[in-house]
Amino acid sequence: MDMTLNAFTLYILTGLQLGSIFVLIALGLTLIFGTLGVVNFAHGALYLIAIYLAVSINNALGFGLALILVPPILFVFGVLMERGLIQRFYDRPHTDQILVTFGLAIVIQELLKWVFGANNIPFAIPSWGNGILMLHDYLPFLDGFVVYPKWRLILVVVSIVTVTAVFALLHLTRFGLVIRAGMRDAEMMQFLGVNINRRFMIVFGLGSMIAGIAGVFGGPVTQVSPEVGMHLLVPSFLVVVIGGMGSLGGAVIAGILIGMAQSFTAPYINLNTVIIYLITVVILLVRPRGLLGAKGVFE
Amino acid sequence: MSSTNEAPQSFFSCRELNAFYGESYVVQGVSFDILEGEIVALLGRNGAGKTSTLRTIARANEPALTSGEIWLNGQALHKMKPFEAARSGIQLVCEDRRVIPGVTVEENLILAQIAQPLGWSLEKIYSHFPKLEERRKQEASSLSGGEQQMLALARALARDVKLLLLDEPYEGLAPVIVQEIERMLQEVKSMGITTIIVEQNAVAALKLADHAIIIDSGEIVFTGTAQEVLDNKKLREEYLAV
Repeated sequence: MDMTLNAFTLYILTGLQLGSIFVLIALGLTLIFGTLGVVNFAHGALYLIAIYLAVSINNALGFGLALILVPPILFVFGVLMERGLIQRFYDRPHTDQILVTFGLAIVIQELLKWVFGANNIPFAIPSWGNGILMLHDYLPFLDGFVVYPKWRLILVVVSIVTVTAVFALLHLTRFGLVIRAGMRDAEMMQFLGVNINRRFMIVFGLGSMIAGIAGVFGGPVTQVSPEVGMHLLVPSFLVVVIGGMGSLGGAVIAGILIGMAQSFTAPYINLNTVIIYLITVVILLVRPRGLLGAKGVFE
Repeated sequence: MSSTNEAPQSFFSCRELNAFYGESYVVQGVSFDILEGEIVALLGRNGAGKTSTLRTIARANEPALTSGEIWLNGQALHKMKPFEAARSGIQLVCEDRRVIPGVTVEENLILAQIAQPLGWSLEKIYSHFPKLEERRKQEASSLSGGEQQMLALARALARDVKLLLLDEPYEGLAPVIVQEIERMLQEVKSMGITTIIVEQNAVAALKLADHAIIIDSGEIVFTGTAQEVLDNKKLREEYLAV
């Protein structure tokens, strides 16, 4: 492949941007799987709810309110979903969990289609995020005139900030210590007097809230249509599998890997459609538990 | 003993406990009482239902308690979830120690002090278990078996423990380490903490205990003093194979 430094830089940025969306969705998925052991196929639908909420609030009341309102609404929605439905499936086989969450995803998708129609709804990017960034002004090694949409770079920054915040929450706070311990031995945490199910419910809410953040910033990039949830669910789920079920670090690495693979194969349409599956197969052959997967998870 | 739904006089009491692992009937009508400060050895062969009885008392989700009452200091444990039983003063030191992997020794102790009411402070724990202080920054699962047992015991003491449930505290430990753990358990005894000890090594458990209960196939077959079991060779041969 004959590639200039300019093109290479753009591919890298696009890879990061695609990876950012995958990471944000996979982060919630893997967090929920790692704590509750639930394979939540409705997670793509949570993203779907987030983008529709975001576009409605954004177009009516402005982006600021969408940013303030959507993540907490998704948090509450996640908690209600966990209490109302998911918690009844904790002790059931993974196949039951997949069926019920997949069913829920379809119900949510069809409801949104019913309310908003099947067509894409334009998501107006706020003025401060609109336009392009002159990359050559910042990166002296670039040759000539190289630009990139500003909003897509903002999405990458949001993803980095969110991932950092989640890691800080899990590794620097007492709440995080309890969650990490609960991921390893939930029963023992109960024997130590901790109401671990309540903490896990909050984690479900947080995973859902991250889908909310992804929706607010990702909506303008992924478009707002009822199929988006399912389209993103498959690669995001593969990101979780490649990274190792329940591993947050693995999800970040795998998300970026898949994003890069999609970006660099973009000129080759056939390869582009299969590349993520190809990577999944190769990685699972070499490392059956995924990149950072722990023994005993999902086994 | 009949179900009265009233708190009994004794410090700890279980009445007609029945518990199941799925279809298996593992605890069959177990009833006994313990006075405050007493140490009871719960003995029996492998698979007799000792661990199941302890887990039932700790209100673990499995085995599932289907009927019966568990009272501790006037509190109805049989109506509680595992974390509520723990807050009421039950502390189960599990047979495989169950130190939390992936976090340090000190974090294991901190995790025991998330929920009220608390027991020993970290300072007090470290003064009694200096080895744990030496290794406080070490990943808990990298400790030796004996050290893990120490940590599991210390973690229980970090809570306000009213009834200590010790499941096979000597299992898999070298004789010299067993002596060390025995010394610690003697210390626990001198503190007057009410304890139920389950142990394959019946003689070691009886040395510590005031009373003994022998169970077989989920049912109590003997209750008496520890000395009675030590003196009764036939009983030991029949139910304990020692």
